[in-house]
Amino acid sequence: MSLSGGWYLTLAAVLFGIGAVGVLVRRNVLVMFMCIELMLNAANLTFVTFSRMLGDIGGQVVVFFVLVVAAAEVVVGLGIVVAIFRRSTSTVADDLHVLKG
Amino acid sequence: MRVALLIASASLHGGIAMPHIAYLAILPEIVMLGGAILLLAVASLVRSALNVTVITVSTLVISLASLAAALWQFFDVQSHGAYTTLDHAVVLDGFSVLVTVLVASAMALTALVGDGYQRREGLAGPEFNVLAMVSATGAMLMGEANDLVIVFLGLEILSIALYVLAAFNRRRAESGEAALKYFLLGGFSSAIFVYGIALTYGATGTTNLTQIADFLAKNVVVSDGLLLAGLTLLLVGFAFKVAAVPFHMWTPDVYQGSPTPITGFMSAVAKAAGFAALIRVFVSSFGVLRVDWQPIIYALAVVTLLVGAVLALIQTDIKRMLAYSSINHAGFVLLGLEAAGALGKVGARGVSSALYYLFAYTFMAIGSFAIVSVLGGRGDAAHEISNYKGLGKRQPFLALAFAVLLLSQAGAPFTTGFWAKLQVVAAAVDANSVPLAVIAMVSAAVAAFFYLRVVLLMYSPKKFVSDQEGDRLENLDASGDAVASTSAREPLWSGSGRQTALVNELNATLLLESSPETIEVPDEREGDVVNVPVLAVVAIGICIAVTVGFGVFPAPLADFAHKASLLFMP
Amino acid sequence: MDQYLPIVLLLGLGLLFAAGSFVGSSLLGPAKKPTGAKIAPYECGIVPDHEPPQRFPVRFYLVAMIFIIFDIEIVFLYPWAVIFREIRVFGFVEVLVFAVVVFVAFLFLISNGALNWGPAKRLSEGMPSRTSDSTILRITATPSPPTSPERAA
Repeated sequence: MSLSGGWYLTLAAVLFGIGAVGVLVRRNVLVMFMCIELMLNAANLTFVTFSRMLGDIGGQVVVFFVLVVAAAEVVVGLGIVVAIFRRSTSTVADDLHVLKG
Repeated sequence: MRVALLIASASLHGGIAMPHIAYLAILPEIVMLGGAILLLAVASLVRSALNVTVITVSTLVISLASLAAALWQFFDVQSHGAYTTLDHAVVLDGFSVLVTVLVASAMALTALVGDGYQRREGLAGPEFNVLAMVSATGAMLMGEANDLVIVFLGLEILSIALYVLAAFNRRRAESGEAALKYFLLGGFSSAIFVYGIALTYGATGTTNLTQIADFLAKNVVVSDGLLLAGLTLLLVGFAFKVAAVPFHMWTPDVYQGSPTPITGFMSAVAKAAGFAALIRVFVSSFGVLRVDWQPIIYALAVVTLLVGAVLALIQTDIKRMLAYSSINHAGFVLLGLEAAGALGKVGARGVSSALYYLFAYTFMAIGSFAIVSVLGGRGDAAHEISNYKGLGKRQPFLALAFAVLLLSQAGAPFTTGFWAKLQVVAAAVDANSVPLAVIAMVSAAVAAFFYLRVVLLMYSPKKFVSDQEGDRLENLDASGDAVASTSAREPLWSGSGRQTALVNELNATLLLESSPETIEVPDEREGDVVNVPVLAVVAIGICIAVTVGFGVFPAPLADFAHKASLLFMP
Repeated sequence: MDQYLPIVLLLGLGLLFAAGSFVGSSLLGPAKKPTGAKIAPYECGIVPDHEPPQRFPVRFYLVAMIFIIFDIEIVFLYPWAVIFREIRVFGFVEVLVFAVVVFVAFLFLISNGALNWGPAKRLSEGMPSRTSDSTILRITATPSPPTSPERAA
């Protein structure tokens, strides 16, 4: 039995929505990272599904690039977090208040 | 056996169609990125032997080589016309050339400003310049991308390097915090952007901008929620990058916290590249859907213009003020983009006016932040606006330069800022968006207040300030002086021939402005308080030369921007 | 293309659900925000007299991050490997350029000592020393509601 593409797209949309809300409401930096990853992977799922539905390999190639970019982003993000939290002790974004706003 | 089969099957399907590569189209990127990697490799191998001077000089050479490649591109486009290459993923046209020229010059200026900054803060190593060059490569790529995937890659190359640069000064808590905020919101916006690409891909079956335009031209799209959702998400992603209200929240914090030379680079390059890609994507491939996106741009422009100008009024930190002013400038560029949505000649005028604005803004922003960087003192912390009181006495040259750049940002005549504002407003009027043009002018008037406030503060005697505030300023001044005089190692005007020549040249340039102040070359006796690096002065001088030079003789730059039309203008 | 409209709807539903659960938990949950005392190592109010076991050295994170980057680059070699016989010299040169770029990053890491596993050199700007004194300061410095143990005591 095979599912139609619409289900995958729906799943991706829901994952993207959860990720987006997560970034906006969660205050732990690491959880916010994970939510961004969730959003990127939702986009990847959408790409692969459309690629299959349209019979065009291009969408799957895009996923490679998005994967690599996501990895690079995570590495840089973790690097920044490590650099910051060697000074302070929590990973809660609200604790950062040197800059007002 | 299996390999033979594979070859057989491949030849059955006609094999791989190798795309033709016109290397000239990506030559500036190759030079910039190749140079950065070479510099990194050399620095890794002989780390101890490289000092800041060597790194700065090589960065300058690489940036200027990239600039030369961009000029070569310009003449090529003039004689052979625009074309796409790399399987239509990259486009070489007047538009991309201008963005490349802009980014390469911004990189060179940032290297000049960054040199003094690195010395002052004691940051060794090639990473600062290498990361900036990688970032510049991404910006150039965004300017000439003809495929949404290339736009995304350029955006990420630009942004990821900038995240690190924002965190560069690890001794400052603000720097790390700025980087984290920038990273979180930047990552959020690029995730939205990728999802927008995915939805657009699903709706049109391609990510190539030309093919999207073809698809939309040939198929009558009726109420396609998918495509419109994709379009909106793309716009949100771009709006984050160019700091348009209501997606501007990160800007003041990030601009304030980042190392000041990087703030200048960020404000100029990231904004220019973001707008370049935004204009190309929306005008050349979603041109058919202009009825859908023009009102959104209109609304974004209105709120960006107003919020940027009003919030800048109440800032007490110069970097935050300049951040809000950059938001205000983004509103003006959106004005050009809104006009670019119109058909035919009017649209072309909108594109060239937006580009002209970006070009003018680049030099004003880098120059302003260079001055702020120099005056920031060791630790890059003295950025209270009140610190600028009486600067005209203490640092006549810097004060005058800052005044010129701020007046240019405000849109004073005989500067590029004036022509830029004139062009976008004229383009908006041509596109029948008169209310928007009126709002822009009101916003410019409001913005003039906070620019003039700083200028007046720099030249004000003490009686201009109320008593209570005066006391506070007094204290600040005293502490500032104390810090600065201990950190001043070499006198400002050590009288080297080059410097004097530069000052004379600047005076000659500035006198065109017929400013009432008499310009004197200060001597060492006039106890100067800030250590002013020569290279930063050179950078500021170039910025002023461009701002005032093209302000007095606007024809060449206007011509350049006029030639920078898009390849696939509808 | 009307068939995709449900996606947009479901995106909205997903957002609504996620937002709803957060709003619900904040409405129904007991504490609004952790106070200074609450995020102290021991919530009962006892000030710890020595540090909890050492955190992981930063080096672990560093190596993990380096691994991720080099690991993920391999993904580009798969498509290349599939067609490398057809793109011949050009493909070889391309992959060589790619390898050199990655290798320079590796070179940079080695020269920076990111892969040295010897006894850790003390960094000049390590983590701020955190003793029980500083913890007490930290707890009392944050304004806490009257229910916090310090005020009650």
